[in-house]
Amino acid sequence: MGERGRYLPECPEMSEVVRKLTEEYGGHMIFSRESEVYVEVPRHELRDVAKYLYNSGAFLKTCAAVDERPLNRSFALYHIFGMDSKGYDVIVKVSTPEDDAWVPSIVDVVPAADWCELEARDMIGIELKGRRLVRRLVLPEDWPEDVHPLRKEVPHDFRPPSVKAESEFRPPERGIPIGPYHPVLHEPEYFELLVEGETVVDVYYRGFHVHRGIEKLGESPRFTYQKIPFLAERICGICGFVHSTCAIMAMEKAAGIRPPERAEFIRTVVLELERIHSHLLWVGVAAHILGYDAGFMHTWRVREPVMILSELITGSRKTYGLNLVGGVRRNIDKDKMEKIMKILERVEKGFKELANLLVSVPQIRRRAQGTGVLTRSEARALSVVGPVARASGLYRDVRKDYPYLAYKEASFKVPLYTEGDNLARVLVRVEEVFESISIIKQLLDKLPGGPIMHEKCSAIIPVDELIPPGKYAVAAIEAPRGEDVHFLMTGEGRPYRWRVRAPTYQNIPALRPMLRGDPLADAPLTIASIDPCFSCTDRALVIDVRTGRARTIKLWDGGAGTCRL
Amino acid sequence: MSIMKLISIAARAKVVTRRYPFEPPVVTEGFRGKIEVDPKLCWGCGVCTRICPPNALTLKKREDGTLVLSYFMGRCIFCGMCAEVCPRGAITVTKEFELASLTAEDLVRDVKHDVVRCRICGRVIGPAVEMREATKSVGGAGAKYYDLCPECRKLVVARGIMTKVGVRP
Repeated sequence: MGERGRYLPECPEMSEVVRKLTEEYGGHMIFSRESEVYVEVPRHELRDVAKYLYNSGAFLKTCAAVDERPLNRSFALYHIFGMDSKGYDVIVKVSTPEDDAWVPSIVDVVPAADWCELEARDMIGIELKGRRLVRRLVLPEDWPEDVHPLRKEVPHDFRPPSVKAESEFRPPERGIPIGPYHPVLHEPEYFELLVEGETVVDVYYRGFHVHRGIEKLGESPRFTYQKIPFLAERICGICGFVHSTCAIMAMEKAAGIRPPERAEFIRTVVLELERIHSHLLWVGVAAHILGYDAGFMHTWRVREPVMILSELITGSRKTYGLNLVGGVRRNIDKDKMEKIMKILERVEKGFKELANLLVSVPQIRRRAQGTGVLTRSEARALSVVGPVARASGLYRDVRKDYPYLAYKEASFKVPLYTEGDNLARVLVRVEEVFESISIIKQLLDKLPGGPIMHEKCSAIIPVDELIPPGKYAVAAIEAPRGEDVHFLMTGEGRPYRWRVRAPTYQNIPALRPMLRGDPLADAPLTIASIDPCFSCTDRALVIDVRTGRARTIKLWDGGAGTCRL
Repeated sequence: MSIMKLISIAARAKVVTRRYPFEPPVVTEGFRGKIEVDPKLCWGCGVCTRICPPNALTLKKREDGTLVLSYFMGRCIFCGMCAEVCPRGAITVTKEFELASLTAEDLVRDVKHDVVRCRICGRVIGPAVEMREATKSVGGAGAKYYDLCPECRKLVVARGIMTKVGVRP
């Protein structure tokens, strides 16, 4: 699988990394592209390689396990390291023979690998050597031991019978539960907070209640490259366009095509519109959590025109259906452009007034200031993304670090705070709304002419022939909540493996340091302050939650993400 | 202080909610609602069923020998891809979105098509309108064989050639 390409990668910055990995660690380069390089290393060198990359400033974006047995009788694990400061990704592949499936764990070297390693173990069945805490993360406890849903022999609609299993992992003592439905976010998650008096001393998280099997579905014959954007859009109800664009960017990279400039501009405009509505939604919800419902309602009043605008441009308030491989389906004409400008003007004015008011309300300031603190070093170790990282003094923004689409054409600043508390996270988002408005205005001002669809693509022409099997691609987009990563390995007419890493996936582990040592009363706000999206995080597998019969569910006995009885 | 500021903001914003359903809802000109298939234009070729991401459009063969293009709004994601690919322009995207109903059957719209059967073996070859129109544009020799399935057509043609060259079939 993959292309044994030229030895020297296209980007000179990469050469040093590639030289080091190949000469000192015995790896070989599989393939390289402008902003990505794929290197396979022997598995006993993985820990040293991870240490070297991490120490040279890389962030671990995620890892993706792939069942490559039909191709070469082995499993593979791809660790995606992002060199943020240099703007390229190093993808480190380790292979493991099918009858001896293990890889060394790198979690003690790179703490951010915690979740994705456990997911690889659940979904593909690769054992992790050298890990202290091995437990199920994604699969519910009553899932059979030897069924790994992302293995190729498991059909996409397979529903195994529930097995009775001893819970592998439970907190040492009972704590105060928050969940399984977050009281204000209306999404399923479960936190158990251990307290001493009023102070939180530890936190346990149980998530992945809303698996829908999207990654597996994307690999199934039910889907083609042309339909996947519409599926990807449904990963998240807030930042759906981010996912569809990100999946498409990966496909376009694999196909080696670039959409026309105008299409890139339109995508960027819609991405920023999405950020505005998402941040406004979040600011409203934060006010609601703090008991300031007037602030909540007025923020949402200001947000409403953005939703109507989205409908005007794309055809729908959410799940826009605008994207196709090779371009976009709808143009922005003069009339629409004027309407966008007019509405944005209004939103900017309305929100400025409201935001000034919100952050000056003494009750809000007192609740948000100094609570839920995430230090810079913790943020770095956990590779947190988006506003959470930027509120902790970590300058990370995909739009600047790996400029994609039309972001090079706009000048904007990335708000950065060093306090790392809830207030900083509010302020980052508030400022980002104004930056986004400015980006849209700039882009519309210099919207280039020309077609909106690549000449080789259209709704009617199947794009399968453009995307040959055996290609790799990694695409990343700065979603409202942070960096969204899609890893694609192409197959015949559809992805061979499609891995989605949503921003919240990276940010939830950061809640532990945030909540520890804080008063219990601040916990709901702190949890909400990362703007968690549980559907995004839980996107990944085959679990049927439509339980046929009612039964009593004990949370740690695996009731939460239960499969069919 | 902040409460006074909020009151002034609220006073300027006035009432923004609508008395829907007693007032018309806000629907922009860009909105995509349910689709409508014009039975007069539709040929039953099924291109729309291939592009439809959620399989809301399906082409079913009925036992009574008709072909049915079935649209189930319950599955539809209102992306309008079908309208974009329809070679006949038979599908229009409307602005209608108030689709709530007490029964699932209310959400189904069927377009029935007669089919052409092979005159030798009786197998269904395709929708009648499409076959007729296709034959018109092909014309000539094609028209002679249009009501034959591919297998029978091969046999008939082969037999014709063999007779012509004098080999007993």
